[in-house]
Amino acid sequence: MVSPQDAVVVGSGFAGSLSSYLVVSGGLFLLGVTCVLVRRNALYVLMGVELILNSANLNFVAFARFGGYGMDGQMVALFVVILAAAEAAVALAIIMRVFNEFGSVDVTRTDSLRD
Amino acid sequence: MYDFMFVIFATFALVGGLLMVFHPSIVHSAFALVASLFGVAGLYWTLGADFLGVTQVVLYVSGVTVLLLFAVMLSDKTLGAVSILRCAAMGLVIGPLAMALMVTYRAIDGMVGTEGAALPDPAPTTPAIGDLLLQPEGYLVPFEVASVLLLIVLVGAVTLARPMADRQVSRKTIADRADAEARGDEGASAPQGEGA
Repeated sequence: MVSPQDAVVVGSGFAGSLSSYLVVSGGLFLLGVTCVLVRRNALYVLMGVELILNSANLNFVAFARFGGYGMDGQMVALFVVILAAAEAAVALAIIMRVFNEFGSVDVTRTDSLRD
Repeated sequence: MYDFMFVIFATFALVGGLLMVFHPSIVHSAFALVASLFGVAGLYWTLGADFLGVTQVVLYVSGVTVLLLFAVMLSDKTLGAVSILRCAAMGLVIGPLAMALMVTYRAIDGMVGTEGAALPDPAPTTPAIGDLLLQPEGYLVPFEVASVLLLIVLVGAVTLARPMADRQVSRKTIADRADAEARGDEGASAPQGEGA
């Protein structure tokens, strides 16, 4: 491991500090939630979910670095990336089937179960 | 140096996200998502997570986005613009959420409080990640479970994305055959159109 003697100061100001990473992550999260809620196209919803997952990942990595938790935060983020890729594949397959069945990817029109 | 890189990558991430949410064309939105995800990968690099950043580029910026663009090409592009009314309504949801996030971040920042603290210079993380992935006391079990999950997803996605026409045709022929058998032997081998 790296000894404290050759430590460097990261982030003397706001940029590069823990709270700056949290602000970026919060912004990404809000953009993702906006995308999921406002857009009607299922592909946009999927993109919004990807943005939300990325913001959570950024939090994991930032806390692991600034809080001194070692590699665990990065490992969790790695598994989240793997799961997000799997989720995107299945979700896109479902979206293509929805397009075949309903002729549209509008999430407000897939209401066959409503009756 | 880190500050400078942080500003650049954070701008990429946030401006890309903004463009993605509010651009009317979905193809432009997908490319804005590429920029945003690349910005996040850069933020990983500034945090010393080099392997994670490269994984992000390989998996997200190339893989997931190419998949997304394929889906965009195969579906319709008519559901373009965001309606102002929905935006205004969702502001009621987003606003309190943003407030709650800020309050939480202030509290957490007070708890951790490492702003400007001396941190060790980031070292290459790939050997450590490899060790952790293959140690039973590390992440060996989640690693194996993830590989099984990826296999399941591979098969499931192919099954789901297969055109419905195939299955309907096979189901119809099965039903026809059952009908023919119920009616008797005379039309069993003949096609349905000639029998009627």
